[in-house]
Amino acid sequence: MIVGLLLALLAGSLVSLQNIFNNKVNVHVGSWTTTTLVLGLGFAASFTLGLVFEGTEMFNLEHMKLWYWFSGLLGVGVVTCMVQGINRLGPTFGVSISMCAQLGFALLFDSMGWLGLEKVDFTFKQLVGVLVIIGGIIVFKLGGREKKKVTHEQVLMGSCEEGA
Amino acid sequence: MKGIIFAFLGGAFITLQGVANARISQGIGTWQAAAVTQFTGFIAALLVLLIMRDFKWHGFKQVKPLYLSAGAYAAVVIFSNVTAIQHIGVTLTVALVIIAQLALTFLIDHFGWFGMEKKKMRLPQFIGLSLMIAGVVILKF
Repeated sequence: MIVGLLLALLAGSLVSLQNIFNNKVNVHVGSWTTTTLVLGLGFAASFTLGLVFEGTEMFNLEHMKLWYWFSGLLGVGVVTCMVQGINRLGPTFGVSISMCAQLGFALLFDSMGWLGLEKVDFTFKQLVGVLVIIGGIIVFKLGGREKKKVTHEQVLMGSCEEGA
Repeated sequence: MKGIIFAFLGGAFITLQGVANARISQGIGTWQAAAVTQFTGFIAALLVLLIMRDFKWHGFKQVKPLYLSAGAYAAVVIFSNVTAIQHIGVTLTVALVIIAQLALTFLIDHFGWFGMEKKKMRLPQFIGLSLMIAGVVILKF
């Protein structure tokens, strides 16, 4: 229980750093060069750590199924939808909706036990928990922050848009 | 309306990705799953890059090496995410990943780390985080 909890928090923290760092790379080299670099490094790191922890087991793909190869393409769907959504709604609203959808689908997957997951029976308590978290995301994201000091020049240049 | 549908589908894909990774890990092991899925993604992105001819190699010199390294974190992200899903279920994992992500991003903004523009946390952010943590407690206990 505590292991799962800590690993989930670690994953979230690393995702936060990734978003910030990848954005900085993106500004200089463009989005497809960044995406290629990120996935290439991710592959290299996973392969290396796999070799370190499991040795030659890393090359044993006996139980490989065809669809496993295509699962990586889901990432293309994620990037396309998020870019389109954020372009149309802005980062605050776009990311809020995406996070609420993530939680809703998570509850659905747990309740249905799809894709070989251990089924977690749907209860009223779980629904309340998820709704409270969604409420928290909305307050957090849409609650507003200290207004940046906007200079006259920025207004003229039209460059005072909201950050992520 | 289109924007809402795209953002919603983006969220659905993110959860589906986590669950698919957990399923593939059952079949061939977690590091293998992380390597295989990112290899396919890498090849797809490389093909798009070659077709679009969107290279800006000179830009790399202007980026700090630390920022270039972020892609490698995905190995640990996928491993942790899959292991967490197997231990505590999808809902709790997704909730905690979101909370850690929002909290660290705001800490970084608050102190202006990594050259980010400083944005102070205000009351709504503290109330929001407290609500999210309360939600996790309701989910689990």
